[in-house]
Amino acid sequence: MADGQFVIIDGNELSFEEGETLLQVAARADIEIPTLCYDERLSPAGACRMCLVEVEGSRLMQPACSFKATGGMVVRTQTPKVERNRRFLLSLHMADTEQDRERAEDANPSRIFDLADVHGTAGCFPKVEQKRSGRPQDVNKFIEFRPERCINCSLCTRYCEQIEAVSAITLAGRGAETTISTADAKSLTDTTCELCGGCVAVCPTGAMTEKPALAYGKPEKELEKIRTTCNFCGVGCQLDLNVDREANRIVKATSPPPGTTVNDGSLCVKGRFANDFVHHEERLTSPLIRQEDGSFREASWDEALDRVVSGLQGIADRHGEDALAFISSSRCTGEENYLFQKLSRAAFRTHNVHQCAAT
Amino acid sequence: MLPKNARREEVLDRLEEQGGLKPGVVQRVHQETGVPEADIYGVATFYHLLAEPDVEVRVCQGLTCKVLGSEALMRDVQSTGTSACYASCLGRCDQAPALWRAHHQEPPLHTGLTESHSGLAIDLENHKKYKLKALQKLLAQGPDWVLGQLETSELTGRGGAGFPAHIKWRAIRGQAETERYIVLNADEGEPGTFKDREVMLRRPDLVLEGLAIAAKCLEAADIYLYIRGEFQGPKQAMRDALTRLQETGLLDGLNWHFVDGHGAYICGEETALLEALEGKRGMPRMKPPYPVEKGFRGKPTLIQNVETIACLPAILRQGGEWFRDLGKTEAGTKLYCLSGHVRRPGVYEVPMGSTMAELLDQAGGVDGNLKAFSPGGASSGFLPASEVDIPMDFKSLRDAGSMLGSAGVVVLNDTVDMVEASLMQAVFFEDESCGQCAPCRIGTQVIRQTLERYLESKDVAVLAHLNEVMWGMGEASICGLGQAAYWPLQSAMKYFPQEFGLEADSAND
Ligand SMILES: Cc1cc2nc3c(=O)[nH]c(=O)nc-3n(C[C@H](O)[C@H](O)[C@H](O)COP(=O)(O)O)c2cc1C
Ligand code: SF4
Ligand code: SF4
Ligand code: SF4
Ligand code: FES
Repeated sequence: MADGQFVIIDGNELSFEEGETLLQVAARADIEIPTLCYDERLSPAGACRMCLVEVEGSRLMQPACSFKATGGMVVRTQTPKVERNRRFLLSLHMADTEQDRERAEDANPSRIFDLADVHGTAGCFPKVEQKRSGRPQDVNKFIEFRPERCINCSLCTRYCEQIEAVSAITLAGRGAETTISTADAKSLTDTTCELCGGCVAVCPTGAMTEKPALAYGKPEKELEKIRTTCNFCGVGCQLDLNVDREANRIVKATSPPPGTTVNDGSLCVKGRFANDFVHHEERLTSPLIRQEDGSFREASWDEALDRVVSGLQGIADRHGEDALAFISSSRCTGEENYLFQKLSRAAFRTHNVHQCAAT
Repeated sequence: MLPKNARREEVLDRLEEQGGLKPGVVQRVHQETGVPEADIYGVATFYHLLAEPDVEVRVCQGLTCKVLGSEALMRDVQSTGTSACYASCLGRCDQAPALWRAHHQEPPLHTGLTESHSGLAIDLENHKKYKLKALQKLLAQGPDWVLGQLETSELTGRGGAGFPAHIKWRAIRGQAETERYIVLNADEGEPGTFKDREVMLRRPDLVLEGLAIAAKCLEAADIYLYIRGEFQGPKQAMRDALTRLQETGLLDGLNWHFVDGHGAYICGEETALLEALEGKRGMPRMKPPYPVEKGFRGKPTLIQNVETIACLPAILRQGGEWFRDLGKTEAGTKLYCLSGHVRRPGVYEVPMGSTMAELLDQAGGVDGNLKAFSPGGASSGFLPASEVDIPMDFKSLRDAGSMLGSAGVVVLNDTVDMVEASLMQAVFFEDESCGQCAPCRIGTQVIRQTLERYLESKDVAVLAHLNEVMWGMGEASICGLGQAAYWPLQSAMKYFPQEFGLEADSAND
């Protein structure tokens, strides 16, 4: 921290590091500045203008998300002008997207309305004509882009570029026609897109949304979030299963907020979208044992495990322990892999143990 | 994160070479440059000349052309089966109603000009052979002398902002970074403005010499000339003049890069221009940092308007004081573009601070009865006829709640409906907003839409909320486009309230 370097925000003398933005300095002091296009993981866009604050000596308000603190700067985040701007922008965004909260939140929650709860609006502006085009012909199964809800905050494109390092989507067009598109408006599946759904996670308005959940038709706010660990691989990403209690169904998986879990707000296509097997009618719910004629019959876990043990032991007896090899699934966690090699080495005395993701 | 070795700066040129956004082009440019396909598509769709490659004719719908009959022109063009679309001001308001054909050799334009005399800094009608005397003087006297003359001259930027040139020059000389760039802003697109076009066509030597002076003085080797895509004639004139001047050997050591604009007014804004040079969507950057500190490729960059640069040779030849004293209220002579309802539209060079009435005299007087004028491009809004005695300089116009801007003066007679005139400007700003920030992107739409509704219904109730929207655009937009986009409407409501069904002073809060 540079010696004697202070900014004064709302009367509080706050120290800062070279290069820090006003938003970062304010956040450390628990001074909340509303934002719509900011994500601490991404380079700031300065596009939504929600974070504008007054800086002494500057004629115009400045964006806290990108304006760098310098020694002696005097900043105000609560003035009538600052508050008026927030109300103006919220009304403007609603007029440009959706003015009815229920409709706006038919799927994902809307940060616009959350902020309006705190800051109010400037009233109901006349509805703005919609000029953004979408990609109705996009055949991918997971992600829907609803242009009429997009506020062009570019969180999705910045996420795709800077975190996913994929750059499958872009701001396209200009002015009122600015929208989110892929190259030549192709389906996501015909691009470099990995269907990670990060663009959905960062979207503040539900313009980028999960197709399966949209089809299910229940707003995210009415679902219960149950924190769990993704079991598709050993990384241990945390995810929230969004559950419809009444129907006892998982509707979708969402990533916990950035900065709170090891996956820092991200998930991959499997963690986020591959959960329909849970309720699939062909899902196996009990062990099956193959019979002489090749068909399967249901069995209890005890019976099935006994059968495995006797089979393995039979091989070891007849051909020696090194005739066995143990290969664990890439879905196993570190702890499971530890137990698995224990099984191999201690119970069957062979070092033939491997993990299928370790190649 | 751009892949390593990706060559983004080439993207726009390659898109242009391959005929714009046509099937397969994005993929090819991706293969050639390594830039992600989506990024290339995003760039191509930003620039109208690339995004709509099949349009043959662009008919100007700038204020001047619209008032002087672009709709009839459009009907004529379309009746021949030609594919045509409307375009924002084409920079040929003196030819109104104007049109432009891509890849089409155009005959020289006739425009009104001030007769040559010795009291002009630029002197468009001067045809004497050119000798690079100012550059030689710089080489003899050194950069500090140049900066001294520049400061004495009180030369201010002619691109719109009126910022003192010497401050930018000194700021660049003060940078520790030695990789520096000079950029000529020849993207002239402010409605009503066509002076840079004439300077490049008639005095390219002045511009090139001015750029060489800047480069030598600021120790930059690379000069970028960003020329509006529709200005192929002026670009050729500049190239020819460069070949001529390079024969003298005095320009040795300087690298000249000609870069085309691709149909985006916003790229005249200096940081959007830099983004375009770097092969990106022309969305203005947030300032600070300013280009003098972090400009092209993140290095100190001088960006100067064509007319500003063209003043340099005279300043060095005749001295800063001489230039300063040419002006009436502020320094120098100034190029004013007159179009609309005047008898002799053209580019007139007169002392800075000449009054509107004097400018009208230069242009042969008003065609009809003067009602209003737009003193410096669309961004300056309107002033009523009663203001004809206002000195047309940066300060006087700012004090009057307007601005000199690019000095594109559009004259309107009493046949013009101010609501319709406001709508024409609103359409311009909506079309040309880069779309990056919410207040401008949505605000320009609200204004256009509200004016259309008002024209249809004549119901003042539809004007509700306008004041709040205009306030927000002015306070919260990132760049000058959004910050000024409501001025035409606001000034029209202020000076012509009855046309909006308002009481005389209710619009003045
Ligand atoms: C929306 C917008 C459009 C602009 N267009 C132009 C232009 O076409 N030509 C120009 O020289 N300056 C234009 N400018 C001003 C430039 O940003 C910049 O101030 C200028 O090029 C600096 O050169 P000067 O100091 O010589 O005027 C524009 C500014 C804004 C905000
Ligand atoms: S799903 Fe992931 S990879 Fe695909 S566009 Fe969205 S952020 Fe990019
Ligand atoms: S889709 Fe969502 S995240 Fe992407 S720009 Fe639109 S509002 Fe922002
Ligand atoms: S004010 Fe308009 S043109 Fe300027 S950055 Fe914002 S959207 Fe773009
Ligand atoms: S959060 Fe700063 S402009 Fe959007």
